[in-house]
Amino acid sequence: MSEIEATLTRVQNHKGVLGVVIVNNEGIILRSTLDDVNTKNYAELIPSLSNLAKNLVRDLDPQNDLEFLRIRSQKHEIMVAAREEFTLIVIQDPLVGFAQ
Amino acid sequence: MADVAAVDEVCKRLQSHKGVEGIIVINADGIAIRSTFDNEITVQYASLVSRFSVKARSVIKDLDDDNELKFLRLRSKKHEILIAPEFEKSKEYVLVIIQAPCCDF
Repeated sequence: MSEIEATLTRVQNHKGVLGVVIVNNEGIILRSTLDDVNTKNYAELIPSLSNLAKNLVRDLDPQNDLEFLRIRSQKHEIMVAAREEFTLIVIQDPLVGFAQ
Repeated sequence: MADVAAVDEVCKRLQSHKGVEGIIVINADGIAIRSTFDNEITVQYASLVSRFSVKARSVIKDLDDDNELKFLRLRSKKHEILIAPEFEKSKEYVLVIIQAPCCDF
C-alpha cells in the first residue's frame, strides 16, 4: 500500500498535475485526488478506453503490448498507465508540464 | 481536388520525418485514403483506429461536454501510434502515424 502512496504523492506534486486516480482491475477506486463525481467518471470511462487501446495494439501485433496511453483534449491531457493489478490515471495541464 | 493535394503534402512532409515508420489517412467512413503500408495492415489499422478514436472522442465528451478530443498517443513496446482525429476537420480525416519510440522529443 505504501508504494501506492509514494507514487501518488510523487505524481500529484508534479508541476501541472490536476488529478490522479488509481483504479484496480475490478474498477474499484483505490486512491484519488479528485472529487467524488469526477473520480467516479474517470474510473468508469478510462479503464475501458485503455483496454480498447491495449486490444488495438495486440490485434495489430500479438507480440506487442500497450505501455502508455495519452489522450490530449482541449482542456487537459489524460495519461493512462494500465498494468495487470491496477490502472493509474493522471490528468495534467499539458502547457504547464513543459519546461520553458 | 485541392484537398487531396494538401493531404499528399502533409503525408510527404511527415513521411520524411525522423523515426516515422508509416502514415495512414482515414476518412469519415473508416476507409484509408492514403497509406505507406501494405493493404492488409492498412485495412487493420483503419478499422481499429476508427473505432478507437470514436470511443475516445465520446469518453472525452462524457467526462466534460465542453471539452474536445485533440490527439491520441498509444505507446507500445515496439513503437508509438499517434492519432490526430482532427487532421482535416471539414472532411473528418483521421491521421495515423506510426513512429519509432526512440525519436521522442
